[in-house]
Amino acid sequence: MSKKGVEAALARGVEILNGFLPLKSWLCFPVLYSACVWAVRRVFDYQERILAWQVWLDPEFVRTKPDEFVLHFFAGHEELSKAYSDELARGDLRTLRAAFPALYPIFGLEDSFLKALFKTEIDATDYRAIVVEFAARTSQARDAIRPAASNPDFWKALELIGMEAASLGLHLLKDEDVQNMIIGLVKKPAVLSPAIPPDA
Amino acid sequence: MKRRLFPAASLVLVFILSAACLPHLRRAKQFYASGQDQARAFRTEAAVASWMSALDEAERECRRKPSAQAFTIKGLAETNLGRWRDAEASFLKAFSLGFAAGEAWASDSALAGLASSFEQVGLEAPALRVYSQLVDKSDFKPVLMTAAERRTNLILARAVDTDPGERARSLAALVKTLDRLLDRDFACGLYHYLHAQVDGHIGDLRRSYEEAVIARELGLPSEKISRDNDNQLIYCYDKLKEILPEAESKAFAAAHSGWTKKWGWRDARTPAWKKE
Repeated sequence: MSKKGVEAALARGVEILNGFLPLKSWLCFPVLYSACVWAVRRVFDYQERILAWQVWLDPEFVRTKPDEFVLHFFAGHEELSKAYSDELARGDLRTLRAAFPALYPIFGLEDSFLKALFKTEIDATDYRAIVVEFAARTSQARDAIRPAASNPDFWKALELIGMEAASLGLHLLKDEDVQNMIIGLVKKPAVLSPAIPPDA
Repeated sequence: MKRRLFPAASLVLVFILSAACLPHLRRAKQFYASGQDQARAFRTEAAVASWMSALDEAERECRRKPSAQAFTIKGLAETNLGRWRDAEASFLKAFSLGFAAGEAWASDSALAGLASSFEQVGLEAPALRVYSQLVDKSDFKPVLMTAAERRTNLILARAVDTDPGERARSLAALVKTLDRLLDRDFACGLYHYLHAQVDGHIGDLRRSYEEAVIARELGLPSEKISRDNDNQLIYCYDKLKEILPEAESKAFAAAHSGWTKKWGWRDARTPAWKKE
């Protein structure tokens, strides 16, 4: 594995993103990180689906859960159970139910985009801030992605960056290391080094 | 043989020619479908980008040549982007223009989309009526699946705030509907997933576990639903281990261990996708 190679690939990702998103945007991080996650899981090899003169809405997951499930979710997560220990002790389902729609996709379903979007709060274990900010920040992110959508090459390029990073051994690094690496690149001006081919 | 081939070839030709004449509509559908693929794989940002592009193309088509299909796709993209009021207006426009013969799928898609926008702006009763209608009548499976999921979700959300008797009645009716859907299509993983969710609300954890296992085996339409189904399995496993008599609990744990090995989980409570 070449950690430097991975870093160089990610630096190119940041550079590309900076061309499409507001300069040094906080959005660079979640977009690039989730691209890396899916690159490692090799889900990029999907073929253009059978097209598809018929279009429809896709089903979602069932969001309404029984009280027992909500309690099981909070009690089963080490950090969340600490943060909501008072509510769990009191059996305050009203508060737990209100927090569930924001926290379950992040900690229950491990949505990499949302995890990256709320990384600051997750690192600070400020889970209540996530609940407060959730609706506004996710909607802001949706709007901020719009300029990137205008260029069809943008996602392809990002996909290649993710694939390159994956081929250089991204999967051998800890999640935290990859996140910190991207944050470091987003914060400072990206210094690019030549790409290292996968077989180097 | 030639006689049979000729109409088929003509049909393909008409299909190709229509595609060539409708570049914006075609591109809108391509972008929309690509967004669905991304969303199923849990790539939120890419999905949003594709739906934005689908919306741009659909808007162009609506300006160039307004049709029920064009407004349906515009409405579907708007629905996925959370623009409920715009979506509602687009679907209503689609219905006012009228769907041609052979466009029943588009009409059903638009109905489902319209119900979804009703739901998001707080009009739950009409949304529920539309979903129920689609569950009973639609022959277009993707819409049928979506309507079944949305109807289940709405009824469960309503049941939370009702008294126990009323709640039991509505959940029993929901189970009947899902049983009917399973009679029609037992191989549909989503229906088993929905059954598992409702069984969880009823407190029938054994049935919930079994349905979730079948759902996993048959496959689910998206990564997000699949992960939620895994969480349901873990929840049922934990609860059943607590309440089953010791001997039964051991046998259940052994069976569960067999399944999880097959699925490649790290242990009885940790699917492969969970962060270590």
